[in-house]
Amino acid sequence: MITDNIVFLNIVFLLLSGGVPYFILLEKSDSFSAKSIFIVSGFLLLTGVIISFFTDREYMTSFVLVSFFTALYSIYRATQTTNFYKLGYYFIFMNAPFFILFEEHGAFYSLSLLVSLLGIYAIASFYEKHYGSANYLYVRGITLATPLIGIHITVYLITIGLYPPLPNSLFFLTHIFNSEANALWLVIVITLYAGNFLVSMRVLEKSIFGKKNPNIHYVDLNFKEKITHFTIIVSLVLLSIYGVKEILTWA
Amino acid sequence: MEKIILLIPGIPILIAFLLFFIRKKELIPKVSIILSSMIALLALYGTYYVISNDAQIVGFNGLLVYNELSAILVPYVAILGLVIRKYATKYMWDEAGYRRFFILLNFIFASIYLLVMSNNLIVLALAWQLMSVGLYLLVSFNVGSKTAVKNARWTMYIHKGADFVFLLAVILTYQTFGSFDLLVLKEKWLVMSQSPVTDPMVLTVGLLYLLAAMMKSAIVPFHIWLPYTSEAPTPVSGLMHAGVVNVGGILLNKMAYLLILTPMVLNIAFVIGLFTAIFASMLMLVVSDIKRSLGYSTVGQMGYMIMEIGLGAFSLAIYHLIVHGIFKASLFLESGSIIKYARKDPNIPERLSHKTFLEENTKYKSSKTFKLIALFTIVPVVVFIGIKMILAPEFFEFNAAIVILAFAWLTGTQLFLSFFKVSKFDSIKAIFGIISSFIIVLFSYEFIGLSLEHFLYGHDSLLFYKAATLNVTLVSALLVLSLVMIVGWLFIYKQHFITLPANKEKSTKSKWSFYKLLVKEGYYFEIFNSSKKGKL
Repeated sequence: MITDNIVFLNIVFLLLSGGVPYFILLEKSDSFSAKSIFIVSGFLLLTGVIISFFTDREYMTSFVLVSFFTALYSIYRATQTTNFYKLGYYFIFMNAPFFILFEEHGAFYSLSLLVSLLGIYAIASFYEKHYGSANYLYVRGITLATPLIGIHITVYLITIGLYPPLPNSLFFLTHIFNSEANALWLVIVITLYAGNFLVSMRVLEKSIFGKKNPNIHYVDLNFKEKITHFTIIVSLVLLSIYGVKEILTWA
Repeated sequence: MEKIILLIPGIPILIAFLLFFIRKKELIPKVSIILSSMIALLALYGTYYVISNDAQIVGFNGLLVYNELSAILVPYVAILGLVIRKYATKYMWDEAGYRRFFILLNFIFASIYLLVMSNNLIVLALAWQLMSVGLYLLVSFNVGSKTAVKNARWTMYIHKGADFVFLLAVILTYQTFGSFDLLVLKEKWLVMSQSPVTDPMVLTVGLLYLLAAMMKSAIVPFHIWLPYTSEAPTPVSGLMHAGVVNVGGILLNKMAYLLILTPMVLNIAFVIGLFTAIFASMLMLVVSDIKRSLGYSTVGQMGYMIMEIGLGAFSLAIYHLIVHGIFKASLFLESGSIIKYARKDPNIPERLSHKTFLEENTKYKSSKTFKLIALFTIVPVVVFIGIKMILAPEFFEFNAAIVILAFAWLTGTQLFLSFFKVSKFDSIKAIFGIISSFIIVLFSYEFIGLSLEHFLYGHDSLLFYKAATLNVTLVSALLVLSLVMIVGWLFIYKQHFITLPANKEKSTKSKWSFYKLLVKEGYYFEIFNSSKKGKL
C-alpha cells in the first residue's frame, strides 16, 4: 500500500538524485559554472545517499519513469560535451533511475558513483589548472606523456562504464541478480547499462588515446594531487571489497 | 594443502601489483616470468592431484573448483602464459608502456584462470567481464595508432554485448533453476534430462549462452573484431588467438549439461559453426595481410569448435581448442620471421588464393594417378571407421557420427594428398608407408581424444551425442555424406589431375564474382556503412 510517506520520500529522492533535469536551468544561469553545477548535484546526491541509509525505500514506477527520461536526455547531452565537469554531472543525472530503482543497493551504487566522479572532478581541476580548461579533447597523448594521469582517467571511466571488479559494477550486479525482472526494469537496466558504457568509452577514447602533441607542455601530478587520487583509488578499492562481499553473499 | 591451487587466479593480480612498484625495467619480465612459473607448477600439481585422486578440489565456499576441465586447461593457459611473457620480454622492450603491458597481461591471465576455475555463475560473470576490459586495454595498447584504437573500440562493443547477454543468461538461469552453483546446477540438469523438457525459458537460457559464446569466440556475424585486431602487439595476438577466443568453447563446456536439455540450441550451434568454418576458411585464403589471414583462420577454427559442440562432441572441442591454440600461438610468434623473409623473397607468402581459385594445376595426368587418388579418398574413411570401431563402437549409434565422418574424410584426404605431393612416388611401398603412418597418426589422435572424453565426462558424453542427434534418417545422412565425398573428390581430381586447354585458363565471370566476394570479406563493411548512411 502506498502511503503519503512513501510518495514524499520518492519526491525527495527524485530531486536529490538528479531525477529531474534541473541542470537545464542552472546552465542558463550566469551565476552557475559547470564546476558549480557539478558540486551542487554531487552534494545533493550525497545527501540523498545519506538519507536513504536511514529510511526504508520503496520505489514508485512513475518516479522511476521521470528519472528515466531525464537520464535519456542526459545521455544525449553527455555525448555532446568534451568538458570533464559537465560530463561529471551528466553522469549523476544519467544514473538517477538506478538510485531510485535499486532501493537499498542504489545507495551504495550511487556512493561508488560519487567516489568515481570525485576522481573525474580531480582530473577536471587538474586540466583546468594546467591546460586552461577542463576540456579533454585537445589534450591528447596523455597515456604516453603522463601515464599516471592516463591510468587514473582509465580507472574512473571504467568504473563508471560498469566493469568489475570496480564497485559500480559490483553493486549493479548485486541488484540485478537480486531482483525480479519486469518490462520497466529491463528497459531501464539495458538502456543505462549501455548508456554508461558508451559515454565512458567515448570519453576514454577521446581523452587517453592519441599521439603526444609537441605543442603541449605536459605536466604530471604533483605530490598533493597524487595523494588525492590515491585516496580516491583506495576508497574505490574499499568499496570494491564491500561489493565483492555483498555479491558473494548472494552467490 | 591442495587448496593452495585455488589461489592461482590471485597470483597474476599479485604480480601486476608488484610490477607497479618495480623501478628497474629489467626486473619487470623477470618477476613476471618467475612468478608465472609458480602458477604453471601449481597447475601441474593440481592436475596430478585430480588425476591421481580422481577428485575435484573445491574451495572458497564452493566458488572455485579445480576439476577435470581445469586440470586440462589451467596448465595449458599457464604454459602459454609463460611462453608469451618470455617472447614479450624482448619483443616489447623498445615499446612505450613496457610495464603497462606486463600489468595488463597479468590481469587478463587472472581473468582467464578465474573463468576456467569458477564454479559459480556470479564468479564466472565477473571473470567474463574482466576479460573484456583487459582485452580492450591490450588491443588498444598502441595508443598512438588511430586504427588500433578504432579496432579496439569494435572489440569492446562486441565483448560488451557478450557481457550483457551473459548477464541476462545468468539472471534467467537463477530464476529458472534457483542456483548459481554450477555443481548444484549440473545435478539438476542431469535429473531434468531424464524426461523431455518443454519449458521455453530453458531454451531461451541455452540460446543466450550460445549467443554470448559466439560473440566472444568470433563466430559469424560477430567475427569482425578478431581479424582486425592484428595491429595489436604480436604477443597479444598470440594470446587472443590461443587463449581469449577459446572462452566461448569453455563456457559451453561448463554449460554442457544444460545444453542436453536444449537439443535445438545444439543444432543451431552446429549450423552456425559449420557456416563460420567454411566462410572464414575461404576468407583466409584471399586476404593479403598475413596476420589478418591468421585471424580468419582462427575464426574458421572457432567455427569448427562450435560445430563440434553442436554435434555433442564437447570434449573434442576442448581438445581442438588446445591443439589449435598451441599451433596458432606458434604461428603468430613466428609471423615476424616470415615477414622478414618475405622482404627478401617476393614469392613468400605463396599466393594461395590465386592458386586455389584461378590457377589450374596441370602437372599430372595419368590413369594410374586417378586410381591412386580414388583409393586415397576411400582409404581415409575406412581407416577412420575401423579405428572408431575398435576404440568406441558406441560412436556409430548417433547420427552425429556421419557428420564427424564427413569431416574426418575431408581432413584425411587433404593429408593423403599432401603426403602424395611430397613423396611423388607411385610405388606400392610409398602408398603402404603413407597409409600406415596415417593409421598411426589417426589412432594416436583418436586415442588421446577418447581418453580426454572419458576423463572429462565419462559415460555422460553419450548423453551429449544423444541430445545432439540430428533429426534425419541414417539413409539420408549417408546420402549427404556420399554427396559430399563425390563433390569433394571431383573438385580434387579437377584441380590436380586434369590438363586444361590454355584458353580455358582465363577465369570466368562467376569465379571473379566469388573471388571479389571473398576479397571484400563478405561485403561486411559495405553493408555496415550503407546501414549507417541509411541506405538500408
